[in-house]
Amino acid sequence: MDVSHILAEHASKQQATVVDKEIPLDIDVGLLTVTDLNPVDVESYEANLEEYLMSTARDGAQALINSLWSLPATHSPDGPIAKLPPPITQLPRSKPLPKPKPLTKWEKFANAKGIQHKKRDRKVWDEEKQEWVNRWGWKGANKDKEQQWLTEVPANADIDFDPRKVARDERKAKMAKNERQHQQNLARAQSEKGASSSSSGHGLQSERKKDIDRTLAVTRASTASMGRFDRSLEGEKKLKGVKRKFDPTEVSSSAEKSNNLAILSKLDREPQLKKAKRASEPTEAPSPKKKGDVLNVRKAVRGATKGAAGAALRREVSSGKGKKGRR
Amino acid sequence: MLRTIKPKNARSKRALEAREPKEVEDARSAIFVRGTHTGEKVNGVMKDLMALKRPNAISFSKKNVVRPFEDASSLDFWAQKNDASMFVVGQSTKKRPDGMIFVRMYDYRVLDMCEVGVESWKAMSEFKTAKATPGHKPLLHFASELFDTHPRFQQLKSILMDFFNGEEIESICLTGLEHIISISLGPTPTALTSAPQPMLTLNPQTPSDDTKNLPIAHIRAYTTKLSPSGTKTPVVSLEPMGPSIDLRLRRHADPDAEVLKQAMKRPKVKKQDVESGLGKKKKNMEVDEMGDLRGRIHVARQDLDKLQTRKMKGLKKGNNDEDEDEDEEPEGGDMVVDEDEGPKESRKKSKKRKQRD
Repeated sequence: MDVSHILAEHASKQQATVVDKEIPLDIDVGLLTVTDLNPVDVESYEANLEEYLMSTARDGAQALINSLWSLPATHSPDGPIAKLPPPITQLPRSKPLPKPKPLTKWEKFANAKGIQHKKRDRKVWDEEKQEWVNRWGWKGANKDKEQQWLTEVPANADIDFDPRKVARDERKAKMAKNERQHQQNLARAQSEKGASSSSSGHGLQSERKKDIDRTLAVTRASTASMGRFDRSLEGEKKLKGVKRKFDPTEVSSSAEKSNNLAILSKLDREPQLKKAKRASEPTEAPSPKKKGDVLNVRKAVRGATKGAAGAALRREVSSGKGKKGRR
Repeated sequence: MLRTIKPKNARSKRALEAREPKEVEDARSAIFVRGTHTGEKVNGVMKDLMALKRPNAISFSKKNVVRPFEDASSLDFWAQKNDASMFVVGQSTKKRPDGMIFVRMYDYRVLDMCEVGVESWKAMSEFKTAKATPGHKPLLHFASELFDTHPRFQQLKSILMDFFNGEEIESICLTGLEHIISISLGPTPTALTSAPQPMLTLNPQTPSDDTKNLPIAHIRAYTTKLSPSGTKTPVVSLEPMGPSIDLRLRRHADPDAEVLKQAMKRPKVKKQDVESGLGKKKKNMEVDEMGDLRGRIHVARQDLDKLQTRKMKGLKKGNNDEDEDEDEEPEGGDMVVDEDEGPKESRKKSKKRKQRD
């Protein structure tokens, strides 16, 4: 039996669907896109443009259809439905990724305890009516007690005991509690958000504001006229300086005495640094502020005396010609 | 900026929720705007493009003073108001006749722009052939090596892909594929082939000079006709559907690197998707040629020592008396003849026994 013609026929059938290109086509099935990276055939492009474009498009379409038909598919009344792989080409999103919702207090607790979320059905089975009714809301099962035509009343109930009102109040209290917890969750989420955003900066927002105000006050007084002749901006407030505080004129004698003694004790000892500076003046060393002087004498002396500069120089001054120099 | 709206009823709440960012996004909806002056050509091209984009297209048919390359703030407002993330702005001026600007948005701000000039155009209505159903997804075909190498054409490809087919879908009905949109370039000029990476500067003067050398882009739309081939896959034949548009690239604006990085962020693959095989390959499972799922299971070597055999009073291990232990030894498999070959358990026991001795 000769099967060669059958094979040839089959091969010719396959020939029609096979796309043979020098550079294989780049197919992104997820986005139904095919890219033909072969260079343009200039001759046929110039000879018949439309024909050429259509033939390349057909090759691309055939290649894409081939790969689409080879995908795993399920059958449906409208035809086969192919399951597409995720796209290869990365296109920019049109909106940022959704932010995760802040967890409620219960959700946090459930996570910590490993409690699984169980979805509660919105409907409950009513044995009397023999049908599914809403758990709450319109014709809700939670209103049954308020709406039944006959209610049992305990024997020791007050004369004005209203069982309907009691049931209703109970239900309303539940609603109020839920709403309150909802608001608390919202407030908690808000405060957490605020804390997380400010943690990168300067602590709390009020502190940050104070910091800015202080900086602004300093810069306003940092011009040559100390802010006096600056053009003020619209809505700018007048700078308030630090108020001087005065001691009261009449104080008790003991307080006055201690104050004066404190002043006297301050006068007794002279500040070290100032004295050292003064002492260095009479010596021949040039002042450090002189222009073009590279050497800072004070620093050099301090370095040479290993940090004991002030004391050493004072000793020198007191022993020698210090008094003369000071004048 | 628009004020933030607090929904007053369930319907408006749902509408607002539909606008919120999603992990897997919908197709970009495009706003078609006319600039201060648009010629017949641009009007026709925009109308045809809108017909192709159909369910996700919003038309603004009045003239507007918009110049996206100079001031994009009005686009931001429009995008937010209409929840659109793409713009096609038509504008015809003396300097740039028959121009169209494709603007792509990210988070209601302009991401990148690409201006094209319409060279020639043949309307969809001039082709007296069957048209594809509006709303059906097109196949896309790009033909030229420049789509892979030249940054301008890479941008054009990305924008057009977003315009026609940006949506990420899980599955598609194969009989619903009715048309293909083909974007082919003219022959690549020698200047580009010799220097594969042309200098792309931010200077606005140079690109306009550069675009003269860039090849023309032909956009064609065809309906596909599938006929049985005798094999599993059908044979495709095409029929022109229209429109046919020839475009030349003009100005462009590249995306800001930082914003682009934000825009390219992908959601983490969900746990259940990973379990169902997305993200990484599922081990030891494969679908064979018949479509049956086949799995391989690895079973560890069975420990024969723990195998429960026939219960007898004499074999009980509970009796730990010295004399009985000795009696047990010759019978039980615990006794070690060769130290190296014996299983670990028995070796331990033998050690214990030695200590006892």
